[in-house]
Amino acid sequence: MKGAQSMLKSHEKFHSENGKRLLLVADDELINREMMRVVLQDDYELVFATNGEEVLQEARKCKDVLSLILLDLIMPVMSGLEALQVLQSDSELSNIPVIVITANQNAEVESLQIGAYDFITKPYPQPDVILARIQRAIELHEDRLIISSTERDELTGLYNREYFYSYAEQFDQHHKDMAMDAIVVDINRFHFMNERFGAKYCDDVLRRVGKGLLSVVGKAGGIVCRREADTFMAYCPHGLDYEEILDKASVSFTEEESNGTRAWLRMGIYENVDKTIEIERRFDHAQMAADTVRGSFTKRIGVYDSALRDKEMYSEQLVADFDIAIKEQQFCVYYQPKFEIQSAVPTLVSAEALVRWQHPSLGLVSPGVFVPLFEENGLIQQLDVYVWGQTAAQIRAWKDRFDYVTPVSINVSRIDMYDPHLTDILLGILAQNGLSTSDLLLEITESAYTRDSKQIIDTVSNLRKLGFKVEMDDFGTGYSSLNMISELPIDALKLDMQFIRGAFATGGDTKMLEIIIDIADYLSVPTVAEGVETEEQMEALRKMGCDLVQGYYFSRPVPATEFERFLEERNKQAKATE
Amino acid sequence: MTPDDLRAFGADVDTGMARCMDNEAFYLKLVNSVKQEKKFDVLEESIAAGDLDAAFEAAHSLKGVLGNLSLTPLYEPVNEITELLRGRTDTDYSVLLSQIAAKREEFLAL
Repeated sequence: MKGAQSMLKSHEKFHSENGKRLLLVADDELINREMMRVVLQDDYELVFATNGEEVLQEARKCKDVLSLILLDLIMPVMSGLEALQVLQSDSELSNIPVIVITANQNAEVESLQIGAYDFITKPYPQPDVILARIQRAIELHEDRLIISSTERDELTGLYNREYFYSYAEQFDQHHKDMAMDAIVVDINRFHFMNERFGAKYCDDVLRRVGKGLLSVVGKAGGIVCRREADTFMAYCPHGLDYEEILDKASVSFTEEESNGTRAWLRMGIYENVDKTIEIERRFDHAQMAADTVRGSFTKRIGVYDSALRDKEMYSEQLVADFDIAIKEQQFCVYYQPKFEIQSAVPTLVSAEALVRWQHPSLGLVSPGVFVPLFEENGLIQQLDVYVWGQTAAQIRAWKDRFDYVTPVSINVSRIDMYDPHLTDILLGILAQNGLSTSDLLLEITESAYTRDSKQIIDTVSNLRKLGFKVEMDDFGTGYSSLNMISELPIDALKLDMQFIRGAFATGGDTKMLEIIIDIADYLSVPTVAEGVETEEQMEALRKMGCDLVQGYYFSRPVPATEFERFLEERNKQAKATE
Repeated sequence: MTPDDLRAFGADVDTGMARCMDNEAFYLKLVNSVKQEKKFDVLEESIAAGDLDAAFEAAHSLKGVLGNLSLTPLYEPVNEITELLRGRTDTDYSVLLSQIAAKREEFLAL
């Protein structure tokens, strides 16, 4: 309930203009009204009524700012009891709390039954008692209002996340032995739907999905909430028909669809939850399971199983071991050569620095595993800087030993691009090793450009002004528009490895490759093809006009000592042609 | 009229004044205004006319005010008559009415 506690302070809505809460005092006797005035005037703004009709009139007039009504039950024209009944039946007025003032013991019970909050007897109790009862009634009432307005998601009317979690915990306390499932439901490609059909349509979809989920889960005694955007969570007794839940939730918004478009749902289930782990973590498990079927047409439901658990524990270990790995230099840099292929004999022109993790107990860990993980939690930045430093030191060492040294490209992650100190860090590393900006090439992934292009473009332009050459990495995986590409400040396009593989796979098509190489040509920047494995691929790329090639055909990424053989060879080659 | 006069009359001045945040002048002003109270007459006339509804309304109002101001000698018989009138009891009200009238005379003389 933390969220609610902090919100209880925001009572602005309930204040009248001078900051005091407004009370309506209704009594037909002037003397009684005057006595109330003298008791209440320091703490409250007051309006008065002398009969039931005036009460209703005043209540309607100031319903938005009226905090409480003090109501004498027996008044002429219209009695307080009648007025109270009207107040209770009017949805706009029924949430104004009423304290009944009466000398009649029997009426007290009756008035509480029809919805009065409390009563004050006549003759009046001492002023401090009156003040305390009024204050208490207002506080209770406002707390209740705030709780009911914040525990719900406005759009769907479902619980919001905080209340969902606390209700789930409450549920567990009362049903300790009941087997429960944590379920997460997402809408696939929801952002495309948003773009295509607009927010209003999508709001409607969200409402209907929520309603559909609740219709099954609610009936089974479970609870549902919308966590954020298009993500729903359900906590329900184990053993529901998951397919039915999905069907109910999907069908509910396809009914009225005449154009045949339908959003499709995915579900992640953490079955039979372990109640000793935190409620949030149980839904993390369910989310993980849902992510395994993201975008799949054939499989709508993912289950958190031992394989996922192992994967999660493996990830946790990697994160936990990160600091020691840096300290003990378990991360090592491998180098993969890039060859220029348009000349008669392929020539070494540069290399890419690639990180490897030699873990003491897990062995060699693939960057395909730890890089996405560290990108997610931000550790990648620390790792990048470490790799840049190692690479620069290596280039320095080679410069001291060899006549010819190629520039080496390093990966700059998206998160690095947002670091205002990026330039200083890079220049610092260069200065420390006595290198210049021409010794390091920077590879920036295409998707970094598309996320927040203005800032990224400014940063890249600035780096280029300092003399860095910038290669756009993974080209073909992002969503750059042609229009945008023409404005990008880049020095090379690097084709994504998957692209190359796809093009040369059985039944693949090299047409797209040719188009991209043409685009690069038009932009007057060289293209670099990654993942080139065979001579045939290399020859095809050469014919298409691709400039540089990197891949197993020439060499896998190798330790620095092994890479030196390429440097020596290049030096021999250069001498031979002299 | 002073608080002591009212005490001599039998009023619980301290309690009544406390309800007025111990503001003596304000309390005395309210008590004084009871001297002009017409509901005593309405009560008497309504009973004479047999209109017990109107009589109850008047008695109930008086009871509230007298109780709040702790004018005990007046409050007590008014309270008694109010309870009888609440049930629209068919009885002889004259004894209570004359008791009230006598205390009212006493009060007006303060």
